[in-house]
Amino acid sequence: MATNTVSQVVPSAEDAAALLKAFQGWGTDEQAVIAILAHRDAAQRKQIMLKYEQMYSESLMQRLQSELSGDFERAMYHWMLDPVERQAVMANAATKCIQEEFPVIIEIACANSSAELIAVKKAYHVLYKSSLEEDVAARTTGNLRIACLLQLLLALVSTYRYDGDDVNMGLANSEAKIVHEAVSNGTTDQEELIRIVGTRSKAQLNATFICFKDEHSTSITKALPHGADPTGYLRALRTSVRCLADANKYFAKVLRNAMRDSGTDEDSLTRVVVMHAEKDMKGIRSAFQRRSTVSLEEAIAKETSGDYRSFLMALLGS
Amino acid sequence: MGDEVQQLTRAFSGTVSICHRNETCFDRSIILQLLLPLMPSLIIISCDDQLNAKRIEGLGGLGVDEPTMVSALARWRKQPEKRSGFRKGFPGFFKSHGDIDRCEEEYMLHLAAEFARFKNLMVLWAMHPWERDARLAHHVLHQHHPPAILVEVASTRSADELLGARRAYHQLFHHSLEEDVAYRAKDKPYCNLLVGLVSAYRYEGPRVNEEVAREEAKALGAAVKSAAAGGKKLAAVAENGEVVRILTTRSKPHLVETFKYYKEMHGRRIEEDLVGHGHGEEEETLVETVLCLAAPARYFSKVMEGALRDGADHHAKEALTRVAVTRSDHDMDEIRDAYLEQFGVKLEDAIAAKAHGHYRDALLSLVGAHHQQ
Repeated sequence: MATNTVSQVVPSAEDAAALLKAFQGWGTDEQAVIAILAHRDAAQRKQIMLKYEQMYSESLMQRLQSELSGDFERAMYHWMLDPVERQAVMANAATKCIQEEFPVIIEIACANSSAELIAVKKAYHVLYKSSLEEDVAARTTGNLRIACLLQLLLALVSTYRYDGDDVNMGLANSEAKIVHEAVSNGTTDQEELIRIVGTRSKAQLNATFICFKDEHSTSITKALPHGADPTGYLRALRTSVRCLADANKYFAKVLRNAMRDSGTDEDSLTRVVVMHAEKDMKGIRSAFQRRSTVSLEEAIAKETSGDYRSFLMALLGS
Repeated sequence: MGDEVQQLTRAFSGTVSICHRNETCFDRSIILQLLLPLMPSLIIISCDDQLNAKRIEGLGGLGVDEPTMVSALARWRKQPEKRSGFRKGFPGFFKSHGDIDRCEEEYMLHLAAEFARFKNLMVLWAMHPWERDARLAHHVLHQHHPPAILVEVASTRSADELLGARRAYHQLFHHSLEEDVAYRAKDKPYCNLLVGLVSAYRYEGPRVNEEVAREEAKALGAAVKSAAAGGKKLAAVAENGEVVRILTTRSKPHLVETFKYYKEMHGRRIEEDLVGHGHGEEEETLVETVLCLAAPARYFSKVMEGALRDGADHHAKEALTRVAVTRSDHDMDEIRDAYLEQFGVKLEDAIAAKAHGHYRDALLSLVGAHHQQ
């Protein structure tokens, strides 16, 4: 469920005018910008952008980028994108430094439904004149070390999972065994594991994870070897298993990690809040609260400041 | 109506399954004997010999001449001795069994297959293309047929058609296509190639990065060379990660450019380098992939030729229906041109020569020919 509140009544022309007013003069009235844009849904934001361009002959996006700065600007830029395009843009950025940013790709591939992922891939075609799969796969060239990581990423991104609830328990049991074997192997012989994680439906995978836990009294993520992970494959596997099993819990964890005492990871914070504010932020917030002494808003308020904080708060509905 | 003809008709209607036997055992002489007695002219009643001879020759078992058979039904009415003569003149298919001439299983199944061809064509044609492709894929996977049909479906359909087929597969079989392929092919060397092909959602626009195409042509050449030089089977190429990546993720226009550069760099087309290195399933899968991606019209015309050859087996003949139905709305014109170029005969003439009755007429309409019989 979305967390940001949306006002229905203001016509886009009025919003565009109000925004122009906020830009004029010395400095920018950031609070006014937030007050408008954080409370509009995707369709309304698109209308505002069109109206603004029509009325003032300049791109609203470009104006925002020049008027705002820092984390606030980055958050607003991503917020103004159409939700599907936003994910395509983030995925593309991630392919450029895939060894650090692959969790973004995994999130997009695993947390979305099959139909949503297809929409993202279609948008990607239009924006970048290539497919997401080919951009992910092409990173192997000259970099065979990360072949295993890329194989997993490619499988996750290419799949069009069955969306139904049918589960075959016999199969879940046998695949749990295969997974266990692969996990004990470290990073060799991962083909079977990648095949299972990359093609089975989410319901089937959850059954497999449960069988694994019943059989070995530990979850897969805990069973994976900790320690040296030079290629990032193990981290990717952990991320994908968590994301497939319980997306809200996963994102809550990302938020918690982003706000740890040793400095805040604004990129991850922005990404989770902006991508999910109008989708399923409520679920993520509950998951966050379940394992934390403070509410999500309190945690963010503590770790961030200024207009960036105000914007995030507005998106969270406070 | 004679009872054995009634039996025949009953056996062929409804849910008759096609004979899966290899039909090369049915050589032309047997086919001639089979259809000969059903042409009333040749045994009992004099008729236009030339016309019937034309009908019989080069049959190869591709459909039956329904009008002639129907007229036989009419003419032999109340003449059991004629039918008895037919059965006796035919020891291959009717064994003497005391007082009656028992019908051999093979004869029944063979005729069933011939009548069924037309029915199958109509059923396949009426289906939505997505359901059709999903069922074809499912059939391949669960009957352990060679993966050629899967490669064909995955590589020759547009990105959205393949996606539609995958969606239909979800609805029909409650699994995703890629999970079934991955599961069934998991021990085969071409597993990654197949899974990659069926999962592809390629960019469809015309933009191609020439530099990258050149680089990838080099990489493909290197893979082929190293497999050939190392004396390894060409299966090693199908397993080569780079090859799989290029073939399963790049857009089709990009691949066409890449193959063009390959020819420039190595003097031969890539499929020529891949062919002739053995005929295992692995090699064929790879060659088919490349052909389907690079030159689908040529690939389909080869498949058609294989079906129209003498001694073609059951799978090859099924291919005739499949290609005619699935490509009729798409690139049938290019396929006809390719056929003429490769084999020197017009596709419609070859079909008209080999096929019969309603099946032939249906094929000719699908192929888009305006052939006058």
